[in-house]
Amino acid sequence: MSWEILKFELRYHLKQPLFYILFVIFFFMTFGAVTSDAVQIGGALGNVNRNAPFVIMQFLLVMSTFGVLTTTAYVASAINRDFEYNTDSLFFSSPVKKHQYLFGRFSAAFIVSSLVYLGVVTAIMVGSFMPWLDKERLGAFVLKPYAFSYFVLVLPNLFLFAAIFFAVAALTRRLMATYTAVAAFYVAYVVSRVSLRDIESEKLGSLLDPFGFAPFTRTTRYWTVFEKNNSILPLDGIFLWNRLMWIGIALVLLGLTFAFFRMEVGTAAGKRKKKKTAKSETPLLPAAQPLPHVSQNFGGMVSVRQFFTTIRVETGAILKSLPFIVILLLAVLNTVGGAVFANRIFGTEFYPVTYVMIGAIESNFLFFAVIIAAFYAGEIVWRERMIKLNEVTDTMPAPTWSIWAGKLAALCITLYICLAAAMLTTIAVQSVKHYHHYELGLYFRGVFLVLGIQLLMITVLMFFGQIITNNRYVGFLIALFYIIGQSVMQALHYEHRLYALFNPPDMTYSDMNGYGHFARPYEWFSLYWTIFAAILLVVGHLFWVRGTETAMKIRTRVAGGRVGMPVITTLALLIIAFVSTGCYIFYNTNILNHYSTEDQRDKRAAETEKLYKKHDRIPQPRITDVQANVDIDPARRWVDIHGTYTLMNKTAQPIRDLHVVMTPDVPLSIQIPRASLAQNDPEHGYRIYRLAQPLAPGATMPMSFTVTIHHQGFENASRDNTVVENGTFFNNFTTFPHLGYSPNVELQEAHKRRKYGLAPVVRMAKIDDPKARMDNGITRDADWINLDTTVSTSADQIALAPGYLQKEWTANGRHYFQYKTTSPILGFFAYLSARYQVKRSAWKGIPIEIYYDPAHAYNVDRMIYGVQKSLDYFTANFSPYQHKQVRILEFPRYAQFAQSFPNTIPFSESIGFIADLRDKEAIDYVFYVTAHEVAHQWWAHQVIGADVQGGSMLAETMAQYSALMVMEKEYGRDKMRRFLKYELDRYLAGRGGELVAEMPLMLVENQGYIHYRKGSLAMYELRDEIGEENVNAALRKLIHDHAFEQPPYATTRDLIADFRAVTPPEKQSLITDLFETITLYDNKATSASVTKRPDGKFLVTITVESKKFRADDRGKETAVPVNDWVDIGVLGASKTKGNEPVLALEKHHLTSPSAKFSFVVATKPDRAGIDPLNKLVDRNPDDNTKKVE
Amino acid sequence: MLELRIEGLSKTYPNGVKALQDVSLTIPTGMFGLLGPNGAGKSTLMRTIATLQEADSGSITLGDIDVLREKDNVRRLLGYLPQEFGVYPRITAEAMLNHFAVLKGIVNAKERRETVNALLQRTNLYDARKQNLSTFSGGMRQRFGIAQALLGNPKLIIVDEPTAGLDPEERVRFHNLLAEIGENVVVILSTHIVEDVSDLCSQMAIISGGRVLMSGDPQDAVRELKDKVWRRVIAKTELDDFQSRYTVISTKLVAGRTVIHTVSDAQPDPTFEPINASLEDVYFCYSRRDSQQRQAEAA
Repeated sequence: MSWEILKFELRYHLKQPLFYILFVIFFFMTFGAVTSDAVQIGGALGNVNRNAPFVIMQFLLVMSTFGVLTTTAYVASAINRDFEYNTDSLFFSSPVKKHQYLFGRFSAAFIVSSLVYLGVVTAIMVGSFMPWLDKERLGAFVLKPYAFSYFVLVLPNLFLFAAIFFAVAALTRRLMATYTAVAAFYVAYVVSRVSLRDIESEKLGSLLDPFGFAPFTRTTRYWTVFEKNNSILPLDGIFLWNRLMWIGIALVLLGLTFAFFRMEVGTAAGKRKKKKTAKSETPLLPAAQPLPHVSQNFGGMVSVRQFFTTIRVETGAILKSLPFIVILLLAVLNTVGGAVFANRIFGTEFYPVTYVMIGAIESNFLFFAVIIAAFYAGEIVWRERMIKLNEVTDTMPAPTWSIWAGKLAALCITLYICLAAAMLTTIAVQSVKHYHHYELGLYFRGVFLVLGIQLLMITVLMFFGQIITNNRYVGFLIALFYIIGQSVMQALHYEHRLYALFNPPDMTYSDMNGYGHFARPYEWFSLYWTIFAAILLVVGHLFWVRGTETAMKIRTRVAGGRVGMPVITTLALLIIAFVSTGCYIFYNTNILNHYSTEDQRDKRAAETEKLYKKHDRIPQPRITDVQANVDIDPARRWVDIHGTYTLMNKTAQPIRDLHVVMTPDVPLSIQIPRASLAQNDPEHGYRIYRLAQPLAPGATMPMSFTVTIHHQGFENASRDNTVVENGTFFNNFTTFPHLGYSPNVELQEAHKRRKYGLAPVVRMAKIDDPKARMDNGITRDADWINLDTTVSTSADQIALAPGYLQKEWTANGRHYFQYKTTSPILGFFAYLSARYQVKRSAWKGIPIEIYYDPAHAYNVDRMIYGVQKSLDYFTANFSPYQHKQVRILEFPRYAQFAQSFPNTIPFSESIGFIADLRDKEAIDYVFYVTAHEVAHQWWAHQVIGADVQGGSMLAETMAQYSALMVMEKEYGRDKMRRFLKYELDRYLAGRGGELVAEMPLMLVENQGYIHYRKGSLAMYELRDEIGEENVNAALRKLIHDHAFEQPPYATTRDLIADFRAVTPPEKQSLITDLFETITLYDNKATSASVTKRPDGKFLVTITVESKKFRADDRGKETAVPVNDWVDIGVLGASKTKGNEPVLALEKHHLTSPSAKFSFVVATKPDRAGIDPLNKLVDRNPDDNTKKVE
Repeated sequence: MLELRIEGLSKTYPNGVKALQDVSLTIPTGMFGLLGPNGAGKSTLMRTIATLQEADSGSITLGDIDVLREKDNVRRLLGYLPQEFGVYPRITAEAMLNHFAVLKGIVNAKERRETVNALLQRTNLYDARKQNLSTFSGGMRQRFGIAQALLGNPKLIIVDEPTAGLDPEERVRFHNLLAEIGENVVVILSTHIVEDVSDLCSQMAIISGGRVLMSGDPQDAVRELKDKVWRRVIAKTELDDFQSRYTVISTKLVAGRTVIHTVSDAQPDPTFEPINASLEDVYFCYSRRDSQQRQAEAA
């Protein structure tokens, strides 16, 4: 009998659309994540195979969190269906035993919920065969990780959710109660995760996590690429206990449900039913009274009324249907997740400004809205026919348009309700984060106009598809093809938005520049596609089925009958408008601008490399002086540059040919006296001038040029976001001509290089490469230059460039500024222009100026303070500041970094300016980033490394160290522990994303996780071992020897030698460990005990283990003997992790794998162990200390 | 007086079924019964009149309205109750009827409320008006269908097998309601139950195989068969024999015995007893003649 019920139930569930909707949603979410980088589930894939076991586990685990909702939809339906449809009495009076009934229903619901997840499994399997994927990023197909993830990660989770919510549904018999329980479950989960996060016992957290996330992350977070590609989470230890415990809890819950469930008619439903049977089953019609006379009216306003009544009825029908509620809840949930974590850097939040929230809606909500549009387009077009009401409604005297338009409008209203729900969700998130600057106007534009219109156009397509195919499932297929087609077209480089159906170009909102130059193309393309949508609607009107005729022949005849003057006129006007809009767009994108696809640009880059790589590092003169007049017209997005270089031959040979390179497609004219153009290749931006008289060694010559950047009309996709209406920021790399081949054009991605037959990219020249040592790591065509530049902009803006303001004046309604440097700078400089607010301060007579957007005043004082503290430390410990001013300037978030130019530090608006520093416990990264950038005035702008391995250590690692010291002076050593913990975490995680080879720090090849993250750790540890004064002495020596030097440039060999010189002989091995090799530790406290002494103090005894490894560039580890000075210490209790007071800390020289220590401390100890502050690189830092017993 | 004229109406479905073949009928004000077996073409005819379907040829006029072209004008006068219909889930009877009333052009709120209430009372759904339609029983739904068909004082009412789901008592009440309304408007009642027609209709047509077999006053038709219908009780085994010898128009079981009706100008033989012809006999008579004719055509 149970079996019969089970079979019946399964058949029932599989007939419901909900199953297919969920399957499709899960399939496409996963498919998107597997086949593109635009969609992410649980984070970016990095260099891990797209179908790696780790990815499979992560996708299924993350997706299983949605199981709370999907499973509930099924178990709740299994119980509540009877009460809703009044079939409970039917079931409960039939000879079905309670356990059979419950077992059958529960099992069926659980099985169907599980089947939904095959959507995820098949999506990964199918996705990894898609032809556009890089074959190098796909592993062989192995079934085991799928089976493991499905049966060990997903099914126990689903079983638990099913058991919990089955219990709630069965015992309350209320749908609302069940969904309230779902909400409560999520809230409880989030709250417990947050509160468990900081408590000591991560083990407990891992055990208690019902989703199995905590044990999964705990085990896999530092997996290397190799491990991610090959390993499955071992089913043992805490993870095994976690699974067993929750299955056990689920079984207990089921048992309780079976015990307490009563097989009787539900009370609420019963009452309703009685009322009905009592009164209306009597078939009496009362005695005849004439029906009241009514007047009927038609046409005009009445049609509008009919349109509105249709809207009302249809909207109600959607809003009250179960799939809608489930999908909307899923969407809201996904949005909460997206919005909560959308604003974090370094564990510090920035203000959840509105554009970030809109971004969260776009990436986390919109997909669900499209699914709703697709599904309900089918429902709404077919509703009457599905329930056989069409013959009634189709004979009603309402005009055809009022019916279909009413339905379409109802669908659109529903979708806007969804968008409003999304908006309220993110507003709630903003409120929870105590951010109360609700920009409703921006929300309106960003959500209701930008996202809304796009959604509506897609809806029209779905609706039209349903009408024209006159087959619900074929209609759904159209929706499916549309969704897939979008990504396939992108992948195949059909990029023009004129045929990217209903897909206007993306916009990036910036608080500084608004929608800026993105708005115009967006508006035109939206208009274009809206007109197209209107055309579809007119055609749909003609083919709207009214009545029972379905043959295309007759429908065509009927359509012909509906064609009248109004239709013809409308259609003609629309088509004219569509074509003219299209022509106007084409004129802008393809005639005023150059249209090219990504693969065309790649191809050009590959050609450039093939043609001109042979000239790499040929002797060329170097730029010594730059004079440039730069005129910015922000409103028109125009820049005119008239510049003159002074070139000097610093080589020992005469130079005959000048190789001038320029960004292709940027108009450039060059005047070189007595030179002829020997080769000109504008397509690849390469030209060679032959000098009539070769430039003799030591001789100089001028070279003048004019660059014209005049943006005209709009592009298909905006590729230049540097010259904009408010917030122009460009540098000379892309806008000025340069001398000699530049490797910047080279394609970096391995698969693209293979495609175009290029050899694997060489990231960096070897550290001792004599040719490369003649170039610095920033510019090859200049060593140190003098800059004299006059920049002008519109009257209301301030324009800036490196150097000191010599003169400022207004002429012809334009604002002019002349800047000049007084000490040599690298040949890398930037221009900015915006409507700035300026805050001025000073440090020992040196002006500090912050140029910022008036809306972003939050952290300006912090930045000033950071600059002051930095200058304090750097001038005291390194060398004098070479400039006489420090400026920080905000620029729009089209790029997201801070960059240090001489006395000029542009900061993206998304970094620092909107950082939320209200949490005093969190890392003040505005202060940190400011210190880091100011440090670059020394580390890059005084000492610049050669263009070889380790170059970025000289700039970035030194800037990290400098910033760490400034922070430590400000916040104290304790606070540094949390920062270093982040650095350790990001270094270890970064190893897992390595694309080529991990290098030791001194040979770093521009690898961020090494020169920033490991750099911090290594320098802090060095400081700890040999002392701050010794480290700074070494750095002072480096500056003394190499500041402003001419080629050959310094390398990390010089730095390491300076370090060794200040390191005592017994600690020389430290230099090897930190800088010359990849060294890792596995330190562990094995026991820790405490006894209270009679004098009130505490005796702590600790046993520790220490292991040490060397890793090769692929992460393979070899054990080496321990011979190090390591911290042994005791910590007190603290509320927040990472802030525990240090009660005792001593360096001990460890030479054996195990050792025992004891301490006497005055206050009550909490934990004790080895390297308790995590200064060493340890893949499992949490077991370094142990709770004392 | 409104009159519906159908002339030479033909319709062949894409699958080749000839649903209507040269149908011509004149339907005056009053109740008009459309009698015929399942698949005779009744529903096609009614749907065509109700603007739901296109005809291949022929014409329909309602007064001076060309039904096949001026569909909107027809719909303004029409009340239609199809053979089977469903309802929206999660909407109350009152809300749905109110919605239909607006679609029918009753936009004056007060009038709409009155007429909706009156119709709900009339169909005895008033107490159930706040209930979701999806919880209605078959009979209640049918009554709801009637209520919507009567919205807005229609001049042309088409009801397709309306009493199918009703119990006998409800059927009677429904007939009364139809008869009352049918006094001043055109009511087309399609049915395969002869009694419905004889009880209610002043005019009728029998159609089968897409053709009109007869049309006119049912009383006249019955009168034509006066003294020509004969009845006999036979053994079941004798049926074939009787069918070959006499014009047997109907066979039915009465109290377990086989009773046949035959048509003949004179008493076939004394074992046959004369009976008063009924409309049923007329119907069977025409049906039999039609099937014989078609057999002949087929041969």
